[in-house]
Amino acid sequence: MAKLILLWLKCIILYNAVDAVFEDQVGKFDWRQQYVGKVRFSHFDTHVQSSKKVLVATENNVFAALNTRTGELFWRHVDKSGPEGNIDALLHHGQDAILVVGNGRLLRSWDVNVGGLNWEIVLDSGSFQKACLVGQQGTVKHVAVLKKNIISLHYLSNGHQKWIENLPDSETVDYQTVYSGGNGEVYALGIVPHSHIVIIAYSTDDGEIIKQISVEAPWLSNIVASCAVIGQGVLICVDSATPSLYMYNLNPNMDDLQMTQIPLQSLGLEVAPDFQPVLVSHQPNSAHQPLSEFFLQLGPDNFLLLQFNNGQIVTLRDFKPALLVSFATTGEKTIAAVMSPKNKTASSINLFSAETGRRLLDTTLIFVMDPNGGKPEKIYIQPFLKKDDSVGYRAMVQTEDHTLTFIQQPGRVMWTREEALSDVVTMEMVDLPLTGTQAELEGEFGKKAAIQDGLMSMVFKRLSSQLILLQAWISHLWKLFYDARKPRSQVKNEVTIENLSRDEFNLQKMMVMVTASGKLFGIDSKTGSILWRHYLNDVPSNAAFKLMVQRTTAHFPHPPQCTLLIKDKDTGLTTLHVFNPIFGKKSHVTPPALPQPILQSLLLPLMDQDYAKVLLLVDDQYKVSAFPSTKNVLQQLQEMASSIFFYLVDSSQGRLSGYRLRTDLSTEQIWEVVIPMEIQRIVSVKGKRPNEHVHSQGRVMGDRSVLYKYLNPNLLAVVTESTDTHQERSFVGIILIDGVTGRIIHEAVQRKARGPVHIVHSENWVVYEYWSTKSRRNEFSVIELYEGMELYNSTVFSSLDRPHAPQVLQQSYIFPSAISTMEATLTEKGITSRHLLIGLPSGGILSLPKMFLDPRRPEIVSEQSREENLIPYAPELMIRTEWFINYNQSISRVQGIHTSPSGLESTCLVVAYGLDIYQTRVYPSKQFDVLKDDYDYMLISSVLLALFFATMISKRLAEVKLLNRAWR
Amino acid sequence: MWHRERIPLLLAFVQSVLVVGWCFTEMEAGPGAAMSTQTNGDRFKIEGRAIVPGVKTQDWVSTARVLVDGEEHVGFLRTDGSFAVNDVPSGSYVVEVVTPTYRFEAVRVDITSKGKMRARLVNYIKTSEVIRQPYPLQIRSSGPHSYFMKRETWGWTDFLMNPMVMMMVLPLLIIVLLPKVVNTNDPEMRKEMEQSMNMLNPNPELPDVSELMTKLFSGSKGSSKAGSSSKGTRPAAKRRGKHSGASRAKKLSMQNNSADLDSWDQ
Repeated sequence: MAKLILLWLKCIILYNAVDAVFEDQVGKFDWRQQYVGKVRFSHFDTHVQSSKKVLVATENNVFAALNTRTGELFWRHVDKSGPEGNIDALLHHGQDAILVVGNGRLLRSWDVNVGGLNWEIVLDSGSFQKACLVGQQGTVKHVAVLKKNIISLHYLSNGHQKWIENLPDSETVDYQTVYSGGNGEVYALGIVPHSHIVIIAYSTDDGEIIKQISVEAPWLSNIVASCAVIGQGVLICVDSATPSLYMYNLNPNMDDLQMTQIPLQSLGLEVAPDFQPVLVSHQPNSAHQPLSEFFLQLGPDNFLLLQFNNGQIVTLRDFKPALLVSFATTGEKTIAAVMSPKNKTASSINLFSAETGRRLLDTTLIFVMDPNGGKPEKIYIQPFLKKDDSVGYRAMVQTEDHTLTFIQQPGRVMWTREEALSDVVTMEMVDLPLTGTQAELEGEFGKKAAIQDGLMSMVFKRLSSQLILLQAWISHLWKLFYDARKPRSQVKNEVTIENLSRDEFNLQKMMVMVTASGKLFGIDSKTGSILWRHYLNDVPSNAAFKLMVQRTTAHFPHPPQCTLLIKDKDTGLTTLHVFNPIFGKKSHVTPPALPQPILQSLLLPLMDQDYAKVLLLVDDQYKVSAFPSTKNVLQQLQEMASSIFFYLVDSSQGRLSGYRLRTDLSTEQIWEVVIPMEIQRIVSVKGKRPNEHVHSQGRVMGDRSVLYKYLNPNLLAVVTESTDTHQERSFVGIILIDGVTGRIIHEAVQRKARGPVHIVHSENWVVYEYWSTKSRRNEFSVIELYEGMELYNSTVFSSLDRPHAPQVLQQSYIFPSAISTMEATLTEKGITSRHLLIGLPSGGILSLPKMFLDPRRPEIVSEQSREENLIPYAPELMIRTEWFINYNQSISRVQGIHTSPSGLESTCLVVAYGLDIYQTRVYPSKQFDVLKDDYDYMLISSVLLALFFATMISKRLAEVKLLNRAWR
Repeated sequence: MWHRERIPLLLAFVQSVLVVGWCFTEMEAGPGAAMSTQTNGDRFKIEGRAIVPGVKTQDWVSTARVLVDGEEHVGFLRTDGSFAVNDVPSGSYVVEVVTPTYRFEAVRVDITSKGKMRARLVNYIKTSEVIRQPYPLQIRSSGPHSYFMKRETWGWTDFLMNPMVMMMVLPLLIIVLLPKVVNTNDPEMRKEMEQSMNMLNPNPELPDVSELMTKLFSGSKGSSKAGSSSKGTRPAAKRRGKHSGASRAKKLSMQNNSADLDSWDQ
């Protein structure tokens, strides 16, 4: 036993050193970018004049404070994803921010300065409608929450409930909004569509109903969409059918049963056809009444600033064309900001006095729109009083592509945040192109050139290329020299598209990221700077994406080419976007129009004459189309057709089927596996990565024999989960199927287990993780497949000719944490040992050596297993923080981990994405092929020198001694 | 169920009535109970407090979260370090406080369908073992996370304690000290030593690597240097040749050599 522990310890020590990060490596080749997601609510922190915070609550259930000077995060709180963490409302008062979360389930108050929670309370059930701050005598002390059937008032200081009241007739009346003008009353406004509005006034003190009234409004269907409260508590609604404005005074002595109608025509206004007019009002302080000025939007680009004055409506100013409007208050001044288009690429923002509608001087701000971005969607204005009491401001513009741009006058962009990157769907890493000189050298050895040119020209070419190299080297030296003279802060090593080139070991790559919003990004993997962005504005909201690299940068002068497959999940209709991954430009190659829904896509290793890999698309008629579809490609396809197989998964039917390509590009079904839907459903199907290399065909055993791996490139791992979720009867199944023949190689069932199942399928192994309902813990299981001691056909693997079933080994382990995602490291030649990269909910990315997940780990240590370096079996896998590749740079909600080989065999590039993006390098077997970065040049040279002098001295001494002896 | 919606004050009472019906005596019925009560809507609150000794709470709470069973339920820390995770159905959960800087132990919390709570140590192997922890939870940080490996720094002690250096230094000492301790003039002693040397050289036919090297280097250097030096080195090499053997015995043979030298000097 002691021996076992000792051996265990030894292994731990051995692997201790393998993966950890050294402290001085922090930020050397890794970077992290933190995002918050698409902003839903935003408030500038105004309670201190010098505050630099802007609070944002996003659709990704994140609440954060951003620094307005830099755009970086002060703090960020990431709630549970899904509807339970959904932020329904954000109210801001002083240094408290009140959040309503999870459809009105929780009410939270945050301290804006520290970023800590003040209090959190659970609200009664009921679907949330609206919340507002309630002030009395100039101070705000309460928050009112309106739900479908109840209204409650809470203290701001501790969240305690002051009173709660049931709303009368909540079955028939749809209560939609709550309003307080700071005069001791809270109004709940409800509606019976196309009949009447219900207005109830509650007393702030005890929740007593002061007044309840219903007002006829047969034209109204939604209060939130078409009404607003202005001035001294006047409810104003707009009706597009008549078209006219309706007003109703909410004052306590209200007893009218009718709303006053003011036809828009009488104001000389006209509504754009098919447009639902919108009202925008502003309440600068919850303890006071709203402004009597408001915006009325009459058309997509037409806004009006109106004023309500003694029962009259006055037009202050007409803005046409205008894109967006917003109110903002600083001190006593309230201003209206209007964004109007200037030309195709720029718009201007101007400030107007809210009271008069007069334009404020020197307040023009130019917002330059990115031609590859989206249209502006919202503006948030941060006004401030200058020393001479005039108003200055900064603006935060949110565009359709989820970008936040913070601009200062007269148009200087202070920062931009690409919030689309908070939801990366898929990505690829593309090699950077060679520089001109490198390409020149490569071109010299091109076959075509060698045949055409004679000997002399070849020599000449060689000399000239060497000259170019020399020139490049000298200019490089000159640049180094030039930079060395300048102070360090001035030296800019900015990466731009122009100076992008592949480095010596191909460690720097272009990360092509596809986000759910349909915005594509090209990011330099070394620095994390965004080199290009491209917004596809016609992407459906529920699209599925698949990104493929059709041509790499290796085929100069042909440009690299990526193809993005965008599939509408509902209709199955697919479009292709073909682009250059280095520059982000849309390719001139026109993708085929695809009228039929696409079921499957395959990227074949075949290439056309321009070195673009062939993409096959299978439509719902099981017809195959190729892209590119030149004659050359079709001919190649015809030749290869008999060896092209593909599979289709229909998880709704529980059916897996295999097809083969015919020469006329039609298909025939050759196998079908049906998994009974009543018992289990297919959760995921995982093949191997096509760019994966396996270096060794087998494993050397303790007795020097070889256990050959079963390396079937066509193997699919199918994960199923039971439909019965009862903890005693639920199970997780895993089926290994040959994708060509449909032969089931292995089947394993984990009883009393349920998903979510995370799976990695690589080489000859499958690792998966599931939740064990019996022991209430996460477990890992590993399946390895071996051919046995002899290889059936060592030269080539064919699924059709493999008579022997492989040996299957399996082992399971306990994992002491839930996991978010899992991926295996990947290296150029597959010599380096593999690690599993596991994203944990805590934000760490654990690099777990595959050696710990080895079904050959023995329970009893023998001489042979020690010879093989097997770690004795221990049921629990450990999480050591030293194995976290991202140290304290935790990554929230890791969605996926992308691994990519580099030019160095020892090095694997890793990108983890989720809410954040993190890029680093890992060395699963240490850096065996380069000198480590801590290599001690000083020590080795000083030792060498010392040895040299020691030999000199001892030689001299020896001579003296010999001479002395000779004289004796 | 319908009357539950009616008057919130009645809610608690009704819930407790329902709970009697769902009562579980055994705590281990965790997730099963969770599943059955989820529809019931009984939700509880896990409370506790996280403490980092010697650090102000304001400095770390903004980066901290409380995770219950992964990200199944999420709670946040108040500015005083206390926390409450609301809306948790009955069951058995692993509660952990997560910050990028400080390490906290995870705790398992069991909630019965009645809402009784208990906390115990997490043991994934013996899941039913109960070692009680205080409830409401008191989670004390056991220090900062250790993410980094220490660089191997170079020091004199490392150098001196290096086995290779030891192997070089020890024979040197023996060379210097041994002739003074052992009387090499004694013929019996010498015979004994020679015998032991022969024992150490199991294969006399193998060429000695060290000898080859000395020949190579002394030859090349000798030609370029003055005559006196070549004279000096050559006999030494020759004499060494007598005691040729496997390289493993190199050091001992050297020691023997010098012993010979010394004796001849006398």
